[in-house]
Amino acid sequence: MMMRVIDFLGRINNGVALVAGLSLLACVVLILVEIVVRQLGMPLGGTDEISGYVMAMTTSWGVAYALTERAHVRIDMLRAKCVPAGRAMLDCVAILALAVTAIVVAWRGWSVLSKTLITGAKANTALETPLWIPQLLWWSGWLWFAISAVLIAAASMMLLFQRRYDAVNKIAGMRGEL
Amino acid sequence: MINFTTFGLLFLMALSIPVGIVLFLLAFGIDSFFSPFPLMRGLGQVVWSSSNSATLIAIPFFVLLGEILVRCGVATRTYAALNKWVSWLPGGLIHANIATATLFSATSGSSVATAATVATVAMPQAEKLNYDPRLFAGAIAAGGTLGILIPPSINLIVYGFLTQSSIPQLFLAGLLPGILMALGFMLITVILCVIKPSLGGPRQQYSLREKLGSLGDLLPILGLFAVIVGSIYAGWATPTEAAAVGVAMALAIAAQQGALNMPLLLLSLRGTIRTSAMVMLVVVGAYVLNYVLTAAGVSRALQSALEGLNMSPLATLFVIILIYIVLGFFIETLSLMVATIPIIVPIIVDIGYDKIWFGVLMIILVEMALITPPVGLNLYVVQAARKSGRFTDVMVGCIPYVLVMLLMVGLLIIVPQLALYLPSTL
Repeated sequence: MMMRVIDFLGRINNGVALVAGLSLLACVVLILVEIVVRQLGMPLGGTDEISGYVMAMTTSWGVAYALTERAHVRIDMLRAKCVPAGRAMLDCVAILALAVTAIVVAWRGWSVLSKTLITGAKANTALETPLWIPQLLWWSGWLWFAISAVLIAAASMMLLFQRRYDAVNKIAGMRGEL
Repeated sequence: MINFTTFGLLFLMALSIPVGIVLFLLAFGIDSFFSPFPLMRGLGQVVWSSSNSATLIAIPFFVLLGEILVRCGVATRTYAALNKWVSWLPGGLIHANIATATLFSATSGSSVATAATVATVAMPQAEKLNYDPRLFAGAIAAGGTLGILIPPSINLIVYGFLTQSSIPQLFLAGLLPGILMALGFMLITVILCVIKPSLGGPRQQYSLREKLGSLGDLLPILGLFAVIVGSIYAGWATPTEAAAVGVAMALAIAAQQGALNMPLLLLSLRGTIRTSAMVMLVVVGAYVLNYVLTAAGVSRALQSALEGLNMSPLATLFVIILIYIVLGFFIETLSLMVATIPIIVPIIVDIGYDKIWFGVLMIILVEMALITPPVGLNLYVVQAARKSGRFTDVMVGCIPYVLVMLLMVGLLIIVPQLALYLPSTL
């Protein structure tokens, strides 16, 4: 049951990565248009601002994808020398630490968004973007990161107690270098 | 407080907790134990403003550019073309390894992906032509590291962002030392192969006509490099804009190779998000730690501790270099850079060294981390592509190139202008 949830999580995050990637590509197009239009003497403006928002969103949603892909950098000097049980235990420590951090960031991030929602702040730029829109998309990414982390942490702990060390490695371990 | 930070950093990393998360945890720890006021209330704002950045979006752009280049098969033709130009030197194909790895990693911005790509293309030749496998593999691993110094470089963008220095200046500062090091790599190969010819393989002569004929295959990569670096240098484009143009050119190169299709694009996009999110978690973590260290006064405490030691700036610099070399054995490139920048760079600036100059010096030191065991990603990647032989072969093969890197560090200290001349013309 838990494995099915994790599997599903992986598939959702595949989609997340695709959407994030496509928005990067859209941003590339926008910048190219801006360069061309600027040469013609009528700058669009606002490209920098939008690029910044896209970056904030691809980061916050991307970290969840990197999590299910087991791509976050870890130093495995000690871990590599452990027996499978020890390795699974370290994996659990790592994913728990990550889950706690993700929750803290999501919680503290909420105060940024909620303040914007209350004051209705707009960006101090020509676009006057209502800041809650990019901030909502950004914050929900961190929230999703926290949810993903908690699910993976719960599943890893369960597998650890069942002594299914291979399975722990598969969801919370480290990917080979290639 | 300094001990807490340093030992906390090493201990948590040794537990194999993700490096980005370690930086966050340290920030939480310093905040609750040492700070007179609660800093974490500002955490959300720090995370938001660190990632909401039109400068940093150059990172995923350059990653995407590299992903496309690595997948579209242009490396094979680049290798064949460069072979015609450089393999008349003693050492033969080894020079083609160095040149391809340098050029390819410079443009694609990824050391590890380059080492993997070039190794896959080059390794079959080594056995066929009876090269010494050690030097042959070592040249690929070492050549691949140069990409993070020669612009465009993701690591330099991260350094510039965290130390608030100009990225165009950093790019230009890395150019000359990077090219010098590539030439140094070739020089030491020539010297070794003249002393002991069995290390190299057959030298190959190509006619001028063949050389010129191969230029067409070099054009895509050289053109891409020239457009990116040129447009930044001329001030026509910001690094982000140059990166966007680079992505478009990479797509054009893939199309010209006949490799531009949906699977390639989707794989590249996913790979881009994976890599840049991995980078960004570490960068955001470092930004948060930076904020806490500064606010809690750790940086000042460190500076006064150092002043208490009464060392000359040069002696301090040597201690710092030694720290990087030792840590570089155990920690990989980006983590090493990002975890040390908040602590080391304020000291360096305080004792009177230039931030841009130190950025280049630091990059060379973390490049060494890529090819020094036990944790040296490029060593593993090249070994994986070799599919046979012992891991220690690659390690031994890298030793001459590590020496060249150390030499370059010394040279940069004696002649800072090597890094600082080009930025001063900006």
